[in-house]
Amino acid sequence: MLIVEGLTRRFGDRIAVDDICLEVPRGSFVGVIGRSGAGKSTLLRMINRLSDPTAGRILWNGRDVTALRGRELREWRARCAMVFQQFNLSGRLDVLTNVLVGRLSQVPARRSLLRLWSAEDRAIALSALERFDIAELAPQRAEHLSGGQQQRVAIARALVQEPDIILADEPIASLDPRNTRIVMDALARINRDFGITVLCNLHALDIARSYCDRLVGLSAGRLVFDGPPDALDAAAARELYGPEADEVVDAAPCAPVALPFAVSA
Amino acid sequence: MSRSPTLRDAALAEMAAITARHPQHFRALPPTRVKAGALALAAIMLLTIGLWRLDFAPSRLIDGVGQLIHFLGLMLPPAPGTWSRTLLIFQGLAETLAIAFLGTLGAAIIAFPLGFLAARNTSISRVVHFLSRRVLDGVRGIDSLIWALIWVSVVGLGPFAGVLAILTSDIGTFGKLFSEAIEAADRKPVEGVTASGGGKLHGIRFGVLPAVLPVMAGHVLYMLESNTRSSTIIGIVGAGGIGLMLSEMIRMLEWDVVSFIVLLILAAVGVIDVISGRLRAALAGRR
Repeated sequence: MLIVEGLTRRFGDRIAVDDICLEVPRGSFVGVIGRSGAGKSTLLRMINRLSDPTAGRILWNGRDVTALRGRELREWRARCAMVFQQFNLSGRLDVLTNVLVGRLSQVPARRSLLRLWSAEDRAIALSALERFDIAELAPQRAEHLSGGQQQRVAIARALVQEPDIILADEPIASLDPRNTRIVMDALARINRDFGITVLCNLHALDIARSYCDRLVGLSAGRLVFDGPPDALDAAAARELYGPEADEVVDAAPCAPVALPFAVSA
Repeated sequence: MSRSPTLRDAALAEMAAITARHPQHFRALPPTRVKAGALALAAIMLLTIGLWRLDFAPSRLIDGVGQLIHFLGLMLPPAPGTWSRTLLIFQGLAETLAIAFLGTLGAAIIAFPLGFLAARNTSISRVVHFLSRRVLDGVRGIDSLIWALIWVSVVGLGPFAGVLAILTSDIGTFGKLFSEAIEAADRKPVEGVTASGGGKLHGIRFGVLPAVLPVMAGHVLYMLESNTRSSTIIGIVGAGGIGLMLSEMIRMLEWDVVSFIVLLILAAVGVIDVISGRLRAALAGRR
């Protein structure tokens, strides 16, 4: 169980995340929704400790992870794998090595730095790649892959960490509709097959509705909605997204949209 | 609590099947590793042969250390000697800084258009591209010390020869660095300019230049630092600056003056280092 207590993050005098409290039971698929700049990324990055909270605590199974340092911090990061919008792969390295990066916390440095991966680790990495139908890409350089393929490699990297949680930060924002499905399906399968908790930042409400079993809405850093997708009615969506609400709620990309000249961002 | 099966369990359960499906990833000695090993072995052999051919003798080095400590003792405390000599030393230092500054700036100005001619994406034609590349290679192939000797015999002793020496050798360096920065620049802004009806010069002016100018300025500032050091050396062959004084003092075994001059040069290089570091940071931030 992941518990977030009064988590706050300030950048100068701007508050990115404002006193957020959250309880996430093991195995749930939570969508974090809201407009861009609402604090979704900062929240996820704080849970992975890529950025440190100004105030508040993060508890995992009763243990405070906000104060971890060194070896323990690296172990915590391995347990809550991160998936990024821009994939954050090492472009010039081959796919298999990129996935094996997910094993780093398990492998002694003298072996990993020389890339002396055990047959076991290689089998785990290939098994993860096979799950997403990209095992044949293993010897290729990551930068030569399409966006959808790269994101699946990133999810494979997260999976071989054998994490308890996967934090996905806008994993589909750089992808086309077909790859959006493939990547979201991959996350859903991880959640179902291995019982890994998924916390996924999403901008598109329709995707969030069809994949998540719980939605958490942020607006200007504050928690303004927390409940099952069905409970998010038009009024709640309007509060979350403001003037963008109509675009996000009925995402029908083919329908012509009358563009107003000034959309207040 | 019942745990779900992990990826590890699943992978290990069908390890044999995975190994059979992807044998190339389970080779004891992958070809890339064999290649890397062979390269490393060749490099070590080359190094050994080189050390052997050049009479590398650790014993001579150890014997020399005693001599070095003796000289270091003579260097303390650093002292310039007479007042008139102090004045001469500072004049020499100012001259050295001026040589470095003028040489670097002149080279940058001349190399600026050459860099565009030598870059594949902004050159006029393949012939011009090829020729300017080779000219820059040739100029760069000769060290500034050699250029100093050449220019001293052409225009006579003094700082003018020093400026010319730095300028000529740096045209080659700048031309190469600039053209590489231009070639590495993103093509998309140029495409945007071209698609809007702009010509080739417009593409360079509005697509390439804004991206490469800060990079070029960074190169120039770095070379200014490096030239402050190398212009002390060219002084030794008579091309002006503090180097002449330094070599004279070494010849006259005035070690306390030598250490004074060396410390002065270190301080000057340090100051330029700090200033150009700030400038470069400011340039990078403005982007």
